[in-house]
Amino acid sequence: MSLATTINNLLFKRTSTFLLTVAACTFFFERTFDGSTEYLFEKLNEGKLWKHIKQNYEK
Amino acid sequence: MLQSTKLSSYVRTANQVISNNLKTAAPNAIIPKKLVTAPPCELLLNESLRHHQPIGKIVLKSGPAFSTQVRMAHTDIRVPDFSYYRRTEVMDPNKKSSDSREARQNLTYLISGAGVLGGVYSAKAVVTQFLSSMSASADVLALAKIEIKLADIPEGKSVTFKWRGKPLFIRHRTAEEIDAEKNVAVSSLRDPQHDHERVQRPEFLVVIGVCTHLGCVPIANSGDFGGYYCPCHGSHYDASGRIRKGPAPLNLEVPTYEYVDDLLIVG
Repeated sequence: MSLATTINNLLFKRTSTFLLTVAACTFFFERTFDGSTEYLFEKLNEGKLWKHIKQNYEK
Repeated sequence: MLQSTKLSSYVRTANQVISNNLKTAAPNAIIPKKLVTAPPCELLLNESLRHHQPIGKIVLKSGPAFSTQVRMAHTDIRVPDFSYYRRTEVMDPNKKSSDSREARQNLTYLISGAGVLGGVYSAKAVVTQFLSSMSASADVLALAKIEIKLADIPEGKSVTFKWRGKPLFIRHRTAEEIDAEKNVAVSSLRDPQHDHERVQRPEFLVVIGVCTHLGCVPIANSGDFGGYYCPCHGSHYDASGRIRKGPAPLNLEVPTYEYVDDLLIVG
């Protein structure tokens, strides 16, 4: 049984497993996507955000 | 009228004259004999109707032995050819389609799955955004906090503050009270909670002063258990704010609070 067959039988064949797969993938996708976009935003706005200039104003 | 035999010599010569590379003329088209039919008569009277009625005895046979079906669809309608629309895997009608399922479906399901994933992700983001818009913002929450200097509260005293429109009891407990509350058997309580679940520092009890029965404000340092006593219906709370006697079903509510050095921040 090839990998494609295994994937099809386990994940895509039934609607329930398909949706479960989507839900599980969404969880990881959200984590990575949110994290990476947040990181990118902070990288592009280096030195402009409050948390970067906080130490200049707070004791 | 000329006879054909007399003409034949002339015709041949004529034929020989034009017999070059050009094609010989096509034979004359046969004009069919014009069929003369009676003009369709208007159905007006019995006479004209009679021509349209069947003549003679009409016999209609039916039953399993006689086929009354004149025209069968499958005999003259050709099955359309769908091979243009078929995938190459299912072109052969003798092959099982389930054998090539993964080859046909995987990419489709992957794409639709990715679409659903995006939809779920966006739906979650929208719902979260909407719900978070209903919760209090950080500046409102900061204003809704109360800071209390604990050094101002003498031992054995219960002080009442107003916090978010509700009375807040802060009780500086004595060592005896702390010991007594620690040794209460949890199983004997109506709303079983150990004392250490209700206080962060054993010296200070922080509870919301609203009776869990019908919402009266209990009186501090009174009642059978030395804690709080609700005058409305006689609920007795102990020095940990737990219900011990009377109609109230639950212990006094403990708000979220934290200590910053010697400062108590409730909220």
